[in-house]
Amino acid sequence: MKRNAGLSRALRIRETRAGYLFMLPSLFFFITFVVVPMIICIYTSFFDSNMGKDAQDTFIGFGNYAELFQDKIFLGAMRNTVIIVAVSVPAVCVFSLWVANAIYNMRAGLTSLFRIIFYLPVVTGSVAVTVVWKWMYNNYYGIFNYALKNMGVIDKNINWLGDSRYALWAIIIILFTTSVGQPIVLYVSALGNVDQSLVEAAEVDGATRNQVFWKIKWPQIMPTTLYILIITTINSFQCFALIQLLTSGGPNHSTDTVMYYIYYTAFKLYRYGYGNAMGVVLMLVIAALSAVQFKLGQSKN
Amino acid sequence: MQSKKTTAYRVAVLIIVILLALLFTFPLYWIVTGAFKTAKEINSTTPTWWPGEWTLRNFQTLFSKLKAPLWQINVPFSQYFSESGEAVVASAGPEVPAAIRWMVNTVWMAVASMLLTCFTAALAGYALAKKRFAGRGLIFTLIVCAMALPKQVILIPLIREMSTLKLYNTLSAVIYPIVGWPFGVFLIKQFAEGIPGEIIEAARIDGAGEWKTFRTIVFPMIKPGVGALAIFTFISSWNDYFMQLIMLSSTQKLTISLGIAKMQAENSTDFGLIMAGAAFAALPIIIVFIIFQKYFTKGITMGAVKG
Amino acid sequence: MKKLLALLLAATMVIGLTACGGGSTPTTTAKQEQPATTQAPAPAATTTALPAAKDVEITLWTYPIGKWGDDASVKALIDSFQKANPNIKVAVEYLDYTNGDDQVNTAIEGKKAPDLIMEGPERLVANWGAKGYMVDLASLWTDADKAEINKAVQSACFNDKGASYEFPVCMTAHCMAINMDRFKEVGADKFVNVDTHTWTTADFFSAVALLAESNESVGALYCSGQGGDQGTRALVNNLYGGTFTDEAHTKYTADSPENIKALEELSKTKGIKFDAAINGGEEINLFRQGVLDMAFCWNIAQQLNDTNAPAGQTNDGKEIVFMSFPSEKGESKLQGGIWGFGIFDNGDADRIEAAKTFIKYFAAGDGVKDAVKTSTYFAVRDKVNGADIAGIWADNAVMNEYTKLMPFLGDYYQVTKGWAEARTAWWNMLQRIGSGGDVATEVAQFVKEANEAASK
Repeated sequence: MKRNAGLSRALRIRETRAGYLFMLPSLFFFITFVVVPMIICIYTSFFDSNMGKDAQDTFIGFGNYAELFQDKIFLGAMRNTVIIVAVSVPAVCVFSLWVANAIYNMRAGLTSLFRIIFYLPVVTGSVAVTVVWKWMYNNYYGIFNYALKNMGVIDKNINWLGDSRYALWAIIIILFTTSVGQPIVLYVSALGNVDQSLVEAAEVDGATRNQVFWKIKWPQIMPTTLYILIITTINSFQCFALIQLLTSGGPNHSTDTVMYYIYYTAFKLYRYGYGNAMGVVLMLVIAALSAVQFKLGQSKN
Repeated sequence: MQSKKTTAYRVAVLIIVILLALLFTFPLYWIVTGAFKTAKEINSTTPTWWPGEWTLRNFQTLFSKLKAPLWQINVPFSQYFSESGEAVVASAGPEVPAAIRWMVNTVWMAVASMLLTCFTAALAGYALAKKRFAGRGLIFTLIVCAMALPKQVILIPLIREMSTLKLYNTLSAVIYPIVGWPFGVFLIKQFAEGIPGEIIEAARIDGAGEWKTFRTIVFPMIKPGVGALAIFTFISSWNDYFMQLIMLSSTQKLTISLGIAKMQAENSTDFGLIMAGAAFAALPIIIVFIIFQKYFTKGITMGAVKG
Repeated sequence: MKKLLALLLAATMVIGLTACGGGSTPTTTAKQEQPATTQAPAPAATTTALPAAKDVEITLWTYPIGKWGDDASVKALIDSFQKANPNIKVAVEYLDYTNGDDQVNTAIEGKKAPDLIMEGPERLVANWGAKGYMVDLASLWTDADKAEINKAVQSACFNDKGASYEFPVCMTAHCMAINMDRFKEVGADKFVNVDTHTWTTADFFSAVALLAESNESVGALYCSGQGGDQGTRALVNNLYGGTFTDEAHTKYTADSPENIKALEELSKTKGIKFDAAINGGEEINLFRQGVLDMAFCWNIAQQLNDTNAPAGQTNDGKEIVFMSFPSEKGESKLQGGIWGFGIFDNGDADRIEAAKTFIKYFAAGDGVKDAVKTSTYFAVRDKVNGADIAGIWADNAVMNEYTKLMPFLGDYYQVTKGWAEARTAWWNMLQRIGSGGDVATEVAQFVKEANEAASK
């Protein structure tokens, strides 16, 4: 008995040592470039800290946080962030599944042609794509106004990026086209890997197309769906370039996301402490979301 | 009856997919044709769908504007010892148009991020999944919480830290935070959980060391996951405009995305030049993608399907 | 026990890394500042040893001030400088007005700010200078400089404590421009005096009304960002004689009845759009493309620009005439533009000294003529140490014509405290008005935000 316990203890030490050795390279980068800045961020968020060589940081406790929840622009940015994520994540998933379902059993050449096409905006790069979209959205001679006017849908030009009613949606559309590429590729192969014998058996039993999809295919592509949900959520939260290059958060802060507003607070208003407080709030929200998402995903498995 | 309905449905779907495909191809089409249009055509307020007259002028301007050395290799860590605090240059390439250097930088940045991320994440993901060590739960919780966090959150602390470490305005300042972002570890961990414990145990009993076990038994099994991570990291670092924007400032350090964004802001009058820049940025990676398409898509999918 | 151990381990790791991450900041800054003090005697020593001065490399970041944004032109200038000062190497980076400020700000935080920067007092004096990042250049001003440089320009380059964060090179008056062919087409040319380049507020609105009958976008109050914002400010201020700040440059006064009236009139005038999707540069583009009939973001460099069409013409060959902003009596106060050099305090005495040499060369030495010509603006001085340079633009008819506007140069209020924050608040305010906000309320909010920044 005693010997056994001793052995397991030796094993445990060995495991711990090996575990940390394996973790070491990753932990180094994670702690140095993510955790440490986060701790500094949390620390500074309790100070009135501004840009300036001789600027003194004064401790104000939860002052920044108190101000945050009175700040209409911040609350609006929070709302926009939620809208972007809540709209684009399901839209991307549903759309890519639909497209993948339509193209996965075409002739091999066609499938890969479509796969390439839907992947194009991803590989073209968001900055290059933005250049074209900016022109397409142009108020005075952009292609959307041109087409819609010629078709008689609108009689006055719409200032897509300059009108707070449309600007956020204009951005979500671009985000959407640059996000669906990877999910489509993933779904095409996932669907291609579905056990064909099960599908055939079901069809013999007289199952409808819908039944086959939901009862046979859907459970089998579930892991892919989960992965897509995660990467799309991450991508949607990272949506920064589009906003910076197209609207700078305007008009009237209607396309501000918390991520962009942090940047704006730091470099247009020079208020570092306040920006960090925003970062901390966002951190808490996202951490909670991720934890919930993870727990849900785990319980399903 | 049934089959007629099915055919009609299939045709309708096909038409919609084709229309969507056109919409998705349009930006690239517009960039490539725009790059060859004359100033008059591209600045016209009515769209010209096909260049009436093909010109290389835009590319000539693009490649004649700024110059930079093709590469620059620094003596590692020399910035910590040199008097000026700048790295000592070990080798600098011949002068080429800056756009080409930006491409070199971008490829280097994306490839280095990809390799480093895959390496660190493969090791750590395996350890988290299969090693029972103290503190594992705490680390994993931290990773899950930080996984989806946008980098903007730590904007100012990160810039200051990079400056303290003398990494500001180097590509490393862009690469390291990407490597530190814990999504990769999470992904690989999910993969490695699928490895049966008995196999590892068997290898151990056979006398294989930890490293050998990882290399010969574990790595081949998580390879699809690493493939998926490699592609995800490559694409997202290629497109990760934000980190580049805040960390890089001198012309020869820029990436191609930054370069185009800068050109766009600087020369809002020369739209053809911007299109040429965008085409130059997009075409190489698209060609690479088309050539390696099979391999590329296989990499992503196997990962996710098994995950 | 084990849990405690693990916690301890994690804690030490975190602390250890924080220590080298954040904790070592003071030591490195100290190290960086050290050379400034300890090496201070060094230049003196080398000056006694004469030209054996050691090689210094400095960086210059420049905004697109005329052709100072064009690599070939700047290279030529740098070459001439290096011929005179072979031991100083200058590396140049080009900024733009959309992201340039952010780029400088991040570089400051990254402790990699350039040695030299070329821009106007609103950035160098009122922003980075006021925040303590710049070297005081007061000692660089000789009596000759003080006597020869335009007085209004001088006062803009010094702050209220007598420190100078900018050494000026060139200046201009910002104005607006009209598409003359379009004006003639609708018969609006009778409202403008092409000889004096002036018009009254009433004429302006009459012309806009005529033009709006055949064009729904006559002019645009662009407000997507701060790029070119001097145009929108000058238009609003001049229409009914409002001011942007008080005379002493202590507070923002855009909420005066004159300004409110101007904004109200503009927001209900047919043909004038508040466009939150474009900035000044894009407005100029639209004007050159013939979409807009007038541009509010104009100056002599634009008039001389021949990238897409011959200078003074739109892309489709229509005639462009520059105009002063409309005002009630036709005597507007034009917004000045001043550009020059400033030095960021990077703590290295050698580099600061080299940067000063650079400034002396281009702002008060042999390089003045070329520096001014490259900017395509006017010199801030007629003489350089007694040598007359007034004739540098003598052969340029457009420049000569433009001098008619220079007497209208108004107060250079861009050095008011909190300027960077105030201009951000300004374009945000225009966006709110453009999307239907009540003028008086929005202006009041602008003034509140701007004055809060000014009183900090």
